[in-house]
Amino acid sequence: MAIVGHALSIASLLISLAIFFYFRSLSCQRITLHKNLFCSYVLNSALTIMYLAGVVNDPELVRRNPVGCKVLHFFHMYMFGCTYFWMLCEGIYLHTLIVVAVFAEEQHLHWYYLLGWGFPLVPASIHAVARKTYFDDNCWMSAETQLLYAIHGPIVAALLVNLFFLLNIIRVLVTKLRDTHRAESNMYMKAVRATLILVPLLGIQFVILPWRPENRLAGEVYEYVMHVLMHYQGLLVATIFCFFNGEVQAALKRQWMQYKMQWGQRRKDHCSMRSTSYTATSITEVPAFMYHHDCNSEHLNGRHTDDSELVALKTGETYA
Amino acid sequence: MELRSGADPRRNALLCLVLVVSHCVSVLGCGPHYQHAIEEFCLAKFKLDMHELDQRHWCNWEDTVELYGELTNCTYLVAVKMGCFWPNQLVDEFFIHVHRHYFHDCSLSGRLLRDPPNRILGPFIVVPILVTLLMTALVVWRSKRSEGIV
Repeated sequence: MAIVGHALSIASLLISLAIFFYFRSLSCQRITLHKNLFCSYVLNSALTIMYLAGVVNDPELVRRNPVGCKVLHFFHMYMFGCTYFWMLCEGIYLHTLIVVAVFAEEQHLHWYYLLGWGFPLVPASIHAVARKTYFDDNCWMSAETQLLYAIHGPIVAALLVNLFFLLNIIRVLVTKLRDTHRAESNMYMKAVRATLILVPLLGIQFVILPWRPENRLAGEVYEYVMHVLMHYQGLLVATIFCFFNGEVQAALKRQWMQYKMQWGQRRKDHCSMRSTSYTATSITEVPAFMYHHDCNSEHLNGRHTDDSELVALKTGETYA
Repeated sequence: MELRSGADPRRNALLCLVLVVSHCVSVLGCGPHYQHAIEEFCLAKFKLDMHELDQRHWCNWEDTVELYGELTNCTYLVAVKMGCFWPNQLVDEFFIHVHRHYFHDCSLSGRLLRDPPNRILGPFIVVPILVTLLMTALVVWRSKRSEGIV
């Protein structure tokens, strides 16, 4: 059943990645971070499926205890860390964008790549060394050992730091920026809201994991909730960051309208009624939902009218 | 040559006779009777004791070392009483059977696996957490610095 969750997650994440890569207009630095986050979730789900199907369901392999299954476990733990550290990168990026330097977007992403892809090797390696030295069971399958906290500890720390950053952003947006930069703060509030919904969802499994209720019905509910939280994470992330994103929805609607009109145009050309084509093309020029963008709209290359507020920001208006 | 060839068959015959006699003795004393004896006296008690012990602890050396020692001693005493040489092939097979039944899924590196003591476990958990916090602080500081130009 866990495999179903992960397979669904992979499917939805691949669709989201396709959307992000296809619609060039959407791309900005935050979307780049989303793409990396989705990649890490895809790899995490793929490795989890490999581990569950290949190792956990195969007692003969566990009995033989080849080195390969420990290597697979190591990479599984590494990707598990990657997903949480990319969420932390998203939080740090938003924090730097909003709290530290107001809404100016050109950050160097090298350090984020290092934190997201490179750093999770550290807890995974420490766990591997400790496991090999002190608790070397077959294929490292046992979950009874406290050495697993060498991985879960940093992940919980990353989630707590992320939560702290996001709450700080909310505080700044609500108190300091409300009066001076209303449109921007509305815009970024939506970005922060998405991340703020996800972080507790991802973290709650660590909080309630030790507390399985004794009651039979509550126990069933607990198992069900934990199962969803643990194995459908990719689906949740793809839904909240991509499918529920206003700008993505606008881009998809525009594309759909274009396709419809192309088909309609072809039919009408075939019927040789060309006058309708001029009215059809003008619809695509409508600027879409300026205040629902998550990325800085100046990257959308002047499809929008009147960004006077943003222009005022750009001309050096700073704030303490 | 003729003398030697004459002596050899007699020596061979004597050797064969000695072997057959000793084999008969061992078969009579240390064959199925011995096996039956150790199963009835030693294995039954061992089985009872191991069943009292929880199955999860069968791989725990501290819990089973006494029972195992008793079993070994018991087979030795029975062998002595019956005049058998100890250890012998039947005892080996007996213990292989016991291992296959009770200790077949214990890990190779030691019996039951256990976490290291807290003074070793602690650093293994605290160090990654500290390194994580340090790395996060580093990334925040660097992104703040690179964001100098507005």
